[in-house]
Amino acid sequence: MANVALIGNPNTGKTTLFNSLTDKYAFVGNWTGVTVEKKVGTLKNSDIQIVDLPGAYSLNPLTKDEAVVTNYLLTNRPDLILNITNASQLKRNLLLTIEVLERGLPVILILNMIDDLRRSGQSYDLDLISHRLGCQVATTNARGHKGINALRQQILNYQNISSQPLQLDYSGMLQQAIRQATEALQNDFDYDATTARWLTIEFINQSKAVREYASAKGLTPLLSQAPYYDAQKFADQIYENRLDFIEKLLADARQSVTSGGQPEVTSKIDKVVTNPILGLPIFAGIFYLMFKISFEWVGTPLSNLLDWFLSVPVSNTVNHFLIQVGAMAPLRSLVVNGIIAGVGGVLAFIPQIFTLFACISLLEDSGYMARAALVTDRLMQLIGLNGKSFIPLIIGFGCNVTGIMAARTIEQPKERLVTTLIMPFMSCSARLPIYGLVVAAFFPKHQALIVLSIYFLGIFVALLVAKFYQLLFHVKERSVFIIELPEYHLPRLDIIWHGTWDKGKGFIKKAGTIIFAGTVLIWLLSSFGPSGFVTDSTKSFAAVLGHALVPFFKPIGIAEWQAISALFTGVLAKEVITSSMMVMFHTSNKAVLIAALSQFMTPVAAYSMMIFVLLYIPCFATLATIKQETGSTKWMLFSVVMSLAIAYVTSFIVFQVGSLLF
Amino acid sequence: MINQQYTLNSFNCLNKPTASRLHNMGLCEGCPIKVIQRYPFHGPVIIENNHQRIGIRYRDFAALTGVEA
Repeated sequence: MANVALIGNPNTGKTTLFNSLTDKYAFVGNWTGVTVEKKVGTLKNSDIQIVDLPGAYSLNPLTKDEAVVTNYLLTNRPDLILNITNASQLKRNLLLTIEVLERGLPVILILNMIDDLRRSGQSYDLDLISHRLGCQVATTNARGHKGINALRQQILNYQNISSQPLQLDYSGMLQQAIRQATEALQNDFDYDATTARWLTIEFINQSKAVREYASAKGLTPLLSQAPYYDAQKFADQIYENRLDFIEKLLADARQSVTSGGQPEVTSKIDKVVTNPILGLPIFAGIFYLMFKISFEWVGTPLSNLLDWFLSVPVSNTVNHFLIQVGAMAPLRSLVVNGIIAGVGGVLAFIPQIFTLFACISLLEDSGYMARAALVTDRLMQLIGLNGKSFIPLIIGFGCNVTGIMAARTIEQPKERLVTTLIMPFMSCSARLPIYGLVVAAFFPKHQALIVLSIYFLGIFVALLVAKFYQLLFHVKERSVFIIELPEYHLPRLDIIWHGTWDKGKGFIKKAGTIIFAGTVLIWLLSSFGPSGFVTDSTKSFAAVLGHALVPFFKPIGIAEWQAISALFTGVLAKEVITSSMMVMFHTSNKAVLIAALSQFMTPVAAYSMMIFVLLYIPCFATLATIKQETGSTKWMLFSVVMSLAIAYVTSFIVFQVGSLLF
Repeated sequence: MINQQYTLNSFNCLNKPTASRLHNMGLCEGCPIKVIQRYPFHGPVIIENNHQRIGIRYRDFAALTGVEA
């Protein structure tokens, strides 16, 4: 089976192309770093596998994402490399192309977004580019599905593509140094000539990944010369030689130049959304609109409809059926009050969650996210982070796990660590069901506003904690903030749908697995007690456990054992809190639960509970990701203790102060 | 200062990752850039070069162009 690797700069439409070429789609976005891990798909109607690597500016990795690409080339030998470039920005894209061509594998150079180039009145002599670089050249417009079929044919023919390593003429001493080390690697370490040359050039060019590789393999011809290479500033020379080559190539290949410049639309939109004064208010407005749509205009009405459907026709039909076939009372209780109530109670929130995801995908696809990072950079600097932390944090609103993964695009390790640690305070979608329940019960008139306030509280706590970490870790290293502002795209429905589905499918999958299991567990705990099967849940194990913890939770306003037991189960997955409540109140109807809740809680206590849910211990999946990405159990445990303490203190203050005021 | 042309004079005052990222984006000493937008309180500066728009920090912008910091 053939392997094809897709490599290119960020914002070149790489993932869109991947989706058009393959049967299986991956996530698409219009800001740097959407591809957090390499993804594999199969070329349509073939058995050729295409690997979608994260976007990289060069093979000298600054981020974890870019390191994935270099390490892939160090350890794999794909049959073909698709090097995708933004046709309008060839000068910078070709810098990576040269590095890839020097590797000496068969390459197809793809000039994507070719329509944008034509619109700006330019074109290139493709044969000349192909000849000078020694690789095939294709043009596509992935968003418009143009050139995809021709490209697919070229890929299917991969066996006929010859590999001609690019032999760029590096100047004087540098050339000599490259030749010497290459020969030594060939003779002493059995590398073929092309690989040896590529390794040498990348090593001299101070690629961190290649230097680590050389140390690990003990490549002495390179390691012993490293001080000499660096003292001679060979890396700068390599850069200059490459740039000269590219400039000459592009000057020769450019066919007609009329007036260039940024296309009108992007400039016009940017005048408004990146306005120094209006930028932040517009940003806040867009997010307010997003929440309005998700929680008031579109999401909630649909959710109510689905909830009615699950709790009335479905629940009743199943109940009648079970009575007719003569099922035992405990079994009927398990199915109706346990599974349908619990899993159904969570499924009813799908419309709200998918609406929110659709909004986030729309912002990503249009190109606004990069602007959001820019306008928030100044604020983020105050807490020792930068605007780039902002995007992972926004993604964390969907799911903390993907948010933490997206933090890989942050260059500075400490900034990445802080972003990871504050991620759990971003209110993920799994916490929405419980908010939805509380606002419906206690704040029916101000649903969007109350939920938004919880989100902002989460952000506020996160910023505060980040500032604390900044002081704790003595962050002094100068941070890096360079962000590309891609062209705006008219959002495309299928890309938004893919993005929404990709973010949301995990939620549905969880409903079938961990939420289902959690629901059954809760049903067992609340239906059995010290005396066996009980119909009155106040005599169950859950009640015993809940009652025992009342003294601890009372100061923050939660005095009901049902709510306390439910909070416990939230560590499995936050969605389980809602299903636990459904099960423990023995209802499959949201309206019944809402009525029950409002009887024995004050609005202040309910708000305090929402805060506790927002801030307390992250779910298992998030904890596992923190451990994986920081590489230490210490940070994971730290996160557990820290969040529990913060949650308790914040809820305590809000409840005590709130009770005095209202 | 908006819509004004500058030339990138020196990469020496930048930290290494910043300099190499700018290099990766095709920006080098002597490159002409245009300022598209700047933000108050020494916030980021949007520059344009070769049909691409890039946001950088004011401090880096000042170091690159030699504009008073």
